[in-house]
Amino acid sequence: MLCKIIKLNINGSTHETAIREYDVLLDVVRENLNLTGTKRGCDMGTCGCCNVLIDGRARLSCLTMAMECIGKKIVTIEGLKSPIVHPLQRAFAESGGSQCGFCTQGFIMTAKALLDENPDPKREEIEEAISGNMCRCTGYIKIVDAIENVAKLQKNGKGSN
Amino acid sequence: MKHIDAAAHTRGESQYVDDMPQPADLLFAAVFSAPVAHGKILQLDIKEALSMDGIIAIYSAKDIPGENQIGPIIQDETLLAEDKVHFIGEPVALVVAKTGELAQKALKKIKLEIEELPVVTDPREAFANGQIIGNSRTFALGDIEGAWNICDVVVEGRCDIAGQEHVYLETQRARAVPLEDRCFRIHSSTQSPYAVQKSSAKILGLSHHKIEVDVQRLGGGFGGKEDQATPWACLVALAAWHTKKSVELVLPRHQDMEMTGKRHPYSSDFKIGLTKNGKILAYEVKHYQNSGATADLSTAVMERTLFHSTNSYFIPNVKIFAACCRTNLPPNTAFRGFGGPQGMFVIESAIAKAAEKLGMSPLEIQYKNLLQENDVLPYGQHVHDARSRKTWDEANKSYKFPAIQKRIAKYNETHFETKKGLAVMPICFGISFTSTFLNQAGALVHVYTDGSVSVSTGGIEMGQGLNTNLAKIAAKAFGINQERVKIESTNTTRIANMSASAASATTDLNGNATLIAVGQILDRLKSLAAKELGLSHKEKIVIENENVLFDGKATGWTWGKLIQTAYLNRVSLSAHGFYATPGIWFDRDKEKGHPFAYHVFGTAILEVTVDCLRGIYDINSVKMVHDLGRPINELVDRGQIEGGLAQGLGWMTLEELKFDEKGKYLSNSLATYKLPDVYFMPDVLEVKLLERIDNPSGPYGAKAVGEPPLMYGIGVFFAIRNAMRAFRPEIEFLFDSPLTPEKVLMQLHADWLDDLTNGRTVTSGKAVKAKKEKVEES
Ligand code: FES
Ligand code: FES
Repeated sequence: MLCKIIKLNINGSTHETAIREYDVLLDVVRENLNLTGTKRGCDMGTCGCCNVLIDGRARLSCLTMAMECIGKKIVTIEGLKSPIVHPLQRAFAESGGSQCGFCTQGFIMTAKALLDENPDPKREEIEEAISGNMCRCTGYIKIVDAIENVAKLQKNGKGSN
Repeated sequence: MKHIDAAAHTRGESQYVDDMPQPADLLFAAVFSAPVAHGKILQLDIKEALSMDGIIAIYSAKDIPGENQIGPIIQDETLLAEDKVHFIGEPVALVVAKTGELAQKALKKIKLEIEELPVVTDPREAFANGQIIGNSRTFALGDIEGAWNICDVVVEGRCDIAGQEHVYLETQRARAVPLEDRCFRIHSSTQSPYAVQKSSAKILGLSHHKIEVDVQRLGGGFGGKEDQATPWACLVALAAWHTKKSVELVLPRHQDMEMTGKRHPYSSDFKIGLTKNGKILAYEVKHYQNSGATADLSTAVMERTLFHSTNSYFIPNVKIFAACCRTNLPPNTAFRGFGGPQGMFVIESAIAKAAEKLGMSPLEIQYKNLLQENDVLPYGQHVHDARSRKTWDEANKSYKFPAIQKRIAKYNETHFETKKGLAVMPICFGISFTSTFLNQAGALVHVYTDGSVSVSTGGIEMGQGLNTNLAKIAAKAFGINQERVKIESTNTTRIANMSASAASATTDLNGNATLIAVGQILDRLKSLAAKELGLSHKEKIVIENENVLFDGKATGWTWGKLIQTAYLNRVSLSAHGFYATPGIWFDRDKEKGHPFAYHVFGTAILEVTVDCLRGIYDINSVKMVHDLGRPINELVDRGQIEGGLAQGLGWMTLEELKFDEKGKYLSNSLATYKLPDVYFMPDVLEVKLLERIDNPSGPYGAKAVGEPPLMYGIGVFFAIRNAMRAFRPEIEFLFDSPLTPEKVLMQLHADWLDDLTNGRTVTSGKAVKAKKEKVEES
């Protein structure tokens, strides 16, 4: 199979990697670059476990061609540090928004994109943002709480990213 | 206290099986499975697949060096099919390749010639054919035949309860690593490491100690990895045995959904007899469990159905019959509640139907028959510390049932298109494995010379917060900061012969074993301190906040000093604790005994609004009073309650598992199987904990929490049904779950549909229109 060497900007640094034209971003970050924080829950765009940020927007990496990402800024869960722990990460851990953890990074990346665009979302807006993310453990309530708490903190100037 | 693993989860650092560093020569496997639900294998042709680039080997039943058998209770399940296949998705061959992608590609080139045999998917049909797994069983109490004569009303009916897909977000997976001397380490996403160890040893013809199973954590289990994680682990072990390389297998979602079993569907007949005041005198039920093609854990699941068929009610005359019916579906298996929820659904249906007949509120019948202290259950156990009424009264006091009923009645009088419905759902769930011997656990505790502590148990962390609970228990027992405690992976070389993490009993069993191990070390430490400090009464020594106190006063010794001194004095700083739940037993010949250490109680009230012209509905609120004993960690426990409830609500409403008459699952992806999403949750959820009363059987007085909250979800079925009844009281709606919006619509307007499809003038439309006018007038 024909491979192509491409450069991807991931978490602020440039990674050179050999890909095939049809490789999806999820495979490239997990298999080629060993960034295993991004999870595979379904491989068909139905669970949200594989969300990453592409130019600031939450995207399903299992449905995104790696080729399309050339020249774009990709952030995975491993790149989410401000400087040590992102407020969203702290909030998910403290509010009980993460049980088995398999879905967690997908929710955090989705929430990050939401809060970057809309720092003061209403509860319904949070729900809308995460409506494509599945969690089988928590029943979602504590996840929405966590995101809401971070929004409140940021509004009061206590958290920053 | 927060979840101990959560910080790593949120950073994406937690490792699941396929996140572990890969050896350079790691091989990848894929499973070729049966395309038809029943048939004779005429020929398996792997030639073309084997010749593809990157394919290392393809194994079938004949390549198994040991015994081709993985049945956990009854030995009726092969790892790889031999001469027949019994369900779609039954593993037939294993492809091993250089990459997972190549392995998957090769599956398409394998040819299987099959002579198809008749397929049975209906448990009643299987029962009629005599296709039963194990023995059918009957629990009886009182004199059922005599009792019917003294009842004022007797009502009969039928329930059809569908299964449920687990949808652990981490699909089934395992990696096998060959070690020296023909030993293997298996990393498996399993709730039952010992099941994996036993079966893979049998498959390879090795003794148990040659197989080490290690489990760091699971990305969800819910029962789906109690027994059904075993085949995938055995398959990679088989491949590692042949190739002498590490081999990994990760099931893609659609293969996982196709190949693994689900919650058991049940079809049940009930008969209930009451006085005209609503006292239940007699209850008879027949459960036909759809077990799937092999036994798996079906007989144990059925047993729990028998135990929970009267839910929270005392009924003096009872006969409960159940049979595991063999069909051509994937072997159904454990799922949170383990057969209990199905039993409860049927008794609640019987009460609903009886209430209709008596013209009484179901709440009145429910309340009148709630268990009281020392009431006897059909299996002979007397209820101790019965909290059914307590939780009901507390819920009624907090949420005011009559006021809600009134408000709903008013709403329904003044609204035509939408109707509200209410249901109260009491639960009573027995804690302990019903096979008494499984109620044992071990813990291994080490204290290192720097004062840090390592705890290993046989329990699996799968999101339920076990490790958080264990860390808290160990730290509290030692009197030290929790930061000093590390919970290790679950490993069969450290803990032998462990029971599965199941039956809600994981924290109880492993927490108590940990307490015993800690107690042994503490005892040695106290003897030493007494000797070294010249104190006579070692029982007056306690460790608090890392300080050694005598009679409540500081001794000047810290935890660090104590441990250092113990080491220099050659005092053992390790211990193995063993716990066996006391006082439980069950006699299966008599079907009587005391199988449960205790029961968990609770009461929930659920309110819904149904759009009766469209069939869609909204869960307005779920409010409950739940009994946790004295919780070890309230945040973790509340998470279990919310998540369990979501699963129960989903099971009753939108999670519809469909299969066709050929035994093929039509809902085999997350695009065709609807999982609760954030919008699905009730608009209001209130969880009140019953006053904290110690539970003598739980560590530090806690009660188990994993399964019981799921069963509150059953109430949503009856709330929706009550709303439907408000719209069309003349219809006898079915007890057919899940009650999807589609089914709501079809049942509300069945006559309409019937008229339409038969080319008649629609008559029910007129009735609905007349009703609408009436509502508008008032
Ligand atoms: S793995 Fe991408 S959405 Fe599920
Ligand atoms: S925490 Fe397990 S799926 Fe969300």
